[in-house]
Parts: sequence; C-alpha cells; structure tokens
Amino acid sequence: MASQGMQRAAREVKPILSLDRDEARKRVLNLYKAWYRQIPYLVRQYDIPRTVEQCKTKLREEFTKYEEIKDVRLVDMMVIKGQMELKEVVNNWKQKGHIMTYFKDTVEPKPKDFLSKFLQGKD
Amino acid sequence: MFRLTITRALNGAKVTPKPLFIAARLQSGEAKKPEKIEVFIDDQPVLVEPGTTVLQAAALIGVEIPRFCYHERLAVAGNCRMCLVEVEKSPKPVAACAMPVMKGWRIKTNSEMTRKAREGIMEFLLVNHPLDCPICDQGGECDLQDQSMAFGSDRSRFTDIDFSGKRAVEDKDIGPLVKTIMTRCIHCTRCIRFASEIAGVDDLGTTGRGNDMQVGTYVEKLFMSELSGNVIDLCPVGALTSKPYSFTARPWEIRKIDSIDVLDAVGSNIVVSTRTGEVMRIVPRVNEEINEEWLADKSRFSYDGLKRQRLVTPMIRDNTGALKPVDWEIALLTVAKVIKNAGSNIGAIAGGFADAEALVAVKDLLNRLGSEALCTEHTFPLDGSGTDLRSSYLLNNKIANAEEADLVLLVGTNPRFEAPLLNARFRKAWVHNELEVASIGPKVDLRYSYEHLGDNPNLLQQIASGQHEFSKKLKAAKKPLIIVGSESLERPDGSAILSAAQSIAAQASCSKDWKVLNVLHKVASQVAALDIGYAPGVDKIREGNFKVLFLLGADENAVEKSDLPADCFIIYQGHHGDRGAAMADAVLPGAAYTEKQATYVNTEGRAQETLAAVTPPGRAREDWKIIRALSEILGVKLPYDNLNDIRDRLDEVAPHLTRYGSAEDANFVSQAQELAKKAKVQLDNTPLDVKIKELQDYFMTDSISRASPTMAKCVQAALKHQQSKYQ
Repeated sequence: MASQGMQRAAREVKPILSLDRDEARKRVLNLYKAWYRQIPYLVRQYDIPRTVEQCKTKLREEFTKYEEIKDVRLVDMMVIKGQMELKEVVNNWKQKGHIMTYFKDTVEPKPKDFLSKFLQGKD
Repeated sequence: MFRLTITRALNGAKVTPKPLFIAARLQSGEAKKPEKIEVFIDDQPVLVEPGTTVLQAAALIGVEIPRFCYHERLAVAGNCRMCLVEVEKSPKPVAACAMPVMKGWRIKTNSEMTRKAREGIMEFLLVNHPLDCPICDQGGECDLQDQSMAFGSDRSRFTDIDFSGKRAVEDKDIGPLVKTIMTRCIHCTRCIRFASEIAGVDDLGTTGRGNDMQVGTYVEKLFMSELSGNVIDLCPVGALTSKPYSFTARPWEIRKIDSIDVLDAVGSNIVVSTRTGEVMRIVPRVNEEINEEWLADKSRFSYDGLKRQRLVTPMIRDNTGALKPVDWEIALLTVAKVIKNAGSNIGAIAGGFADAEALVAVKDLLNRLGSEALCTEHTFPLDGSGTDLRSSYLLNNKIANAEEADLVLLVGTNPRFEAPLLNARFRKAWVHNELEVASIGPKVDLRYSYEHLGDNPNLLQQIASGQHEFSKKLKAAKKPLIIVGSESLERPDGSAILSAAQSIAAQASCSKDWKVLNVLHKVASQVAALDIGYAPGVDKIREGNFKVLFLLGADENAVEKSDLPADCFIIYQGHHGDRGAAMADAVLPGAAYTEKQATYVNTEGRAQETLAAVTPPGRAREDWKIIRALSEILGVKLPYDNLNDIRDRLDEVAPHLTRYGSAEDANFVSQAQELAKKAKVQLDNTPLDVKIKELQDYFMTDSISRASPTMAKCVQAALKHQQSKYQ
C-alpha cells in the first residue's frame, strides 16, 4: 500500500521545463553556448581585467561545479537562473563588480586543515 | 470453614471499618512507621508524613506558596508572614512554612482570605522598602519585585511619604565581597541563619525591635567566612549584593553558561554570566551531590583574575633575556626546533588547572617523542600501590555522604579552606547528626568543635595499633571517615602516612559500601592527571637532566630554574603570566576554564565538563589544540582534529573521563592496603602542617586568584580584621 502511494506521488511531480534528462541536457548546452558566444562582447563591454580565455575557463568551471546534479527539475531551475544572469549581463544590468565576483579575487579560502585553522584562530 | 471466614473478612474489609482497624494494627506491629495523613490543598488530596509543613505539602503537588524568609536548607523562622494561607474552619490564616499539617485539613492557597493576607503583607513590606529598583543590583532577579507583581496590590495608598517618610537604615561594611544597602532589608533573617547554621560564623544578628529592627554585625567588623558570598544569593531583596558585580550588568542582558569551578578540587557546579565577551559574575548551580547550592568565595569572586595578567600572545625569550611577543607560526616553529633537537630528552609538568584533554594530548605527544617523564606538580606517594589503584587517591566515600558520617578523623588537612563545601557538609553533620571530629595536624579553626589529637604523625601509628584512646571510638563508630589531606602526603614520609591511614581504615567496622579512607586533593587537575597516568611529583624532572621542560600551567615553583641544567629550554603553556611564565623561554598562551570546553575530575573521581563562556583573549588558544598543532609541526601528528576526536581518545585512555556527572567508584581498597604494608618509609617526627591555616591564606593560592584584585582586597580585609579589637 505504502509503495503504491509513493509511486503515485512520484508520478505526480510536475515538470518545470523538461520532460526527461535529454531535454534538460539540451537546455544546459544551449545556455552554455549562449554564454560562450557572449563572452567576447562581455569582456569588451565591461572592461574587466580578464582575457576571453580566462572567462571561458571560468564559464566551464561554473557549469562543471554542478556536474553531480541529475534531478531534471533542479537542472531546469538552474538553467532558468543562468538565463536570468545572462540577460542581466547582456542588458548591462550588471556592473563590473558583479562580473568580477565570479572570480572571487578578494575571497580568502577558508582554512581546511587543523593547522591552518589553528594559526588563523578559526574553528 | 476457616478459609471461608477469611475470604469473608477480606471482602468485608472494603466496606466495614472493623477489619480495617485490625489491618492498621497489624501494620503498626510490623514497622513503627507513622501513618501518612491526608490533607487537601485547593481540594486536591495529598498524603504526607506527619510533621510535614503546609508549605511542603503544597510543594508536593506543585503548588508554590510565596515566601521570603523560608528556605529549605535553613531553619524555619516564620517571620516574613508572606506564606500565610487559609485553612478551612480556622479563624486566622496560618504561616505555611512553620505550621505542620493536621489530618483532614483543607488548605486554600488561593482563596480570598489568602490573597488578602498576602496583599496586606506586601503592603507592609513595601511601606519601608525604598523604590530604588532602577538602581538596585537585584532588579530583575528580586523576589520582592516578582512577588509584589504577582501578589501585591495594584495601587498604592502610601501617604506617609508626605509626613515622616520611609524608614532608613545605615549601611554596614562587612567586607570587600558583600555590599549592604540595609534600607532595602525586609528582615527575613536568611543571612543570619546561613551564617550561624551553615557557615558557623555567628557574626550577623539583629538589633532593636519592630520598626527599629536592624540586621547587622553589632559592631563594625568583617564577615569572616569563606562562604560569605552565599548570603548574596540568599537575600531575597537587594540588601546584600555582590560588591565586585555592583552596577556592572543586568540579569536580562547577560548570557548564562553552565560550567564547573576549578579553583579547588571539589568541582562545584557554577553558572558563568557573561556580557560583551567578559565574565561578569559567577554564581552557584544546584548539584546535591557536590555543592548543594553554595559556592566558596574564592570560586565565586576570583573571576576578575581572569582579566588580568593574562598571556595573550605567544612569546619567545630573546638574546637580551626579555620575552618578546611573536606570532603562532614563529613560536611553534621555534619550540618545535628545540624539541626536535632534544629528542626524547623532554619532560612535562602539569599544574593545577590542566584539563583532561590537554593532559592526554601532552602525554600522547611526549610518548610519541619517546619520553615518559610526565609529572604532576603536586606530589603523591608512590610506594605500595602508588597511584595504580584509584582508591588510594580518591575521596572514595563521596562528598554528599560526608553528611551521614558519625566520626571523622582529619589527617594533615584544613578542609575549611582546602574544600570549603566539604567542610560545610561536615558542619551540617556536626549540627544535625552529632558528628564527632578529631584532627591530627595543626590546630586550626574549622567552625565546629573537634578533638585535636596533636600534630605528630606517629599518632597515626598509635591509633592503628590500638594504643590510642581514639581507636576505641573508631571501632565503635558505624560510619567513620578518615580524610587525608593531599598536603600531608607530599611529605617525604607521605607513603607511611597513607599506609597508616589505610590500616586505621581497615580496622573500622562498617558496611562494605562505606569507604573509610578518603584523600582530599587541593587542585582540580590532580585526579584526572593520575587517572591518565601522570607520575605524581617532580622528582623525575629534577633527576632527569632534561633538555626541554614543558610546563602545562605549572605555577607553583615545584621546579626552579636552579634545579635544571643550564641549557634546559623551558616552555610554559598556560593562561596567566605567573611564576611558570616568568622562568620560561617560550610562552604559549592557553585558555582559562571559562574559555574552553574541557573535562575536569574532582577529588571524588567525578568527571565534569566546563563549557566555553567567553573566547580566549588575544591569540590564546584552547590547550589541547596547541599541543595538537605543535605535534604536527614536530612531525608526530596526534590523531585528533576536533573535540569529539579527543574525547574519543579520553574514552580510550580512561572511560570514566567522559561519563560526565557520574562519579566512578574505586575498588581494590583492601589490595591497596596490602600493598601499602610493603612501603619501607618510616613516619618521621616532624609535625603535620598545612599551608592554609587562616582566612587570609585562603584567598590567593593559584595563578587566577593571585591575579585577582578582589582576592587581594579580601586578604587585606582579613589582615586588617586581625588588628581589630572585635575578633
């Protein structure tokens, strides 16, 4: 009985955009391409101290960061967010600082091992 | 036939009163326990023992009757009248705290008459109580304030302020700890009863009658007690408040963290109040097994020592011989280099404030370096079973059980100042249980009478062999205790003293679970250190010719620089710049007991943990972490990265160290005694002595209390009191 209920619940999940994994994957690739093509313009438009190559690596990094996420709904939602970000870039709604935060120049990495935690006085 | 009648009689018992009467008689024949009586509190029936007061009966079913003068650990006074309640068919309300209940009484704790009575009492109290709550230190935790809100009238008809004004009373100066604003006093006499019953100091009393009544010390003198701070907690109003805490914080803006006191070996439970990252005050927490609800003055008031003389940054001694502040990296690298060069030629001494985590970490580190030279600052005899059997170094019979004792023999100890709360237990037994106390050692004032047998250690031998008068008493006693002071065991003939005490203990005739032999320690770390496997005493260090000496909070000068080889590098890790840091070549700042989550084992073998109330100052770090970091730089990384890991290691070393709150029993008493007989040391004739004899010696005994200005003032006040003509 319980398993039947579970199955019904699983069936009733509403899709956000994609109906299966392949479709979601296509959307991700499309978003990636769109960003990729925008990068040369982005570098010029925002006058950031980064080359096109560096930005492309960063773009790849930002996408591969979420490699493990397989849930179609999550992937869709992140594609939507990614599109929003892209739109903000294209329309100049972002400013230079917003672009530079992708590179996290000023963020110091948190100490991981015991000794560096100890020396910095952080737990 | 017979059977039938019995069944009939049993069946009848439910309805007829006659067989019931028989049953009752049968019961009284079996045991003389008096029958419980039934009373009704707010129409709720409750069965109580005869002699129970109305207030206690009400408490049984969770009805709390307001009170000011009544306190469950003090004698009943019945003078505040706040606990008046109505009893049906009684013309007048009765004082619940003093009135024993009678059969079938119907008590009304919330009737019109009761409420009227309370309101009246509140009004009378407030007539002569100043309206200075906004500037009163008790504000926010004041019984009078709370109860006037709950039970007082909602409007005032006080007009006397326009005519004669409120009563005013001169403030008394009773020392540097307790501030008195006597106008606020409502004459509950709790402080007087505490002083005379529990502290045993009859300094406080009342003068005058009626409106002219005053609580005070008759003449201007110091309240000479090591438990004086407790009257602050007892005072239901702001008449007695803490002098060091006055005007510093309000109860609603402080954070309260439950912790453990480490200034003596009793391990009292405390609450540390903090605000803005500072310890504002320390108050006791109830623990019936240890401190009841009291706290000794040193534990309560020496917290200001935690803000002074602190080591806030690592330091290295430079060419000119001055300690220069450096950062952790340099300090650890320098220290590691020296330790590496020394190889296994390294020793460690643990002081009185070392927690179990740090002790284990230091031991693990030194063991990994190939050294076994780990000592505690305070000595303990190693002959016989030494510290292998826990029963020879614990207060085996537990602190709470001291109340039941009927005969106590103190050997080379002054419990009044070495463990004030244990002494309070003895006094309690002396008052209520007709405890007899005898002492071998210096003649000191314990605040109860005792038989002073002398100060020659050979007396122990005489008692053990039955030549002394006292041994007869000991044999007759049902629950005797022998309390051996750790100081007497630090003597060269300490093992002989311990073995003599053990053989005396063996003669006592008492039940098996009553442990006669008890050792009273003076410092908080000792039991944990011995449990973990530290060697007591620093002889090893003196003889060892070490290249590096690691002092873990050792501040008592057990080893001086002159005892060590000239090229010995001394590392001091601790929280106060005291004697240890003064002779060190490298200083690593650690955390004090209010700044770390750490394990301490008290003198009865009870593991308890402190919780971090504030962060360590400056660059100071938790102690075990310093050792852990050092171990990594040395290349002998210790396998624990966080508190859970090191607690697991504690558990591995000695499982009782992580069973917080419970005191692990020690066994093998008889075996320890057998082994002690093999000890070859003879008792010598030097009289037994203790360091802390009088109140002025009590206040400053360790690195925290030596740094405390309040404690310094206490010493001054106690010395001044000696000059006073009112002794």
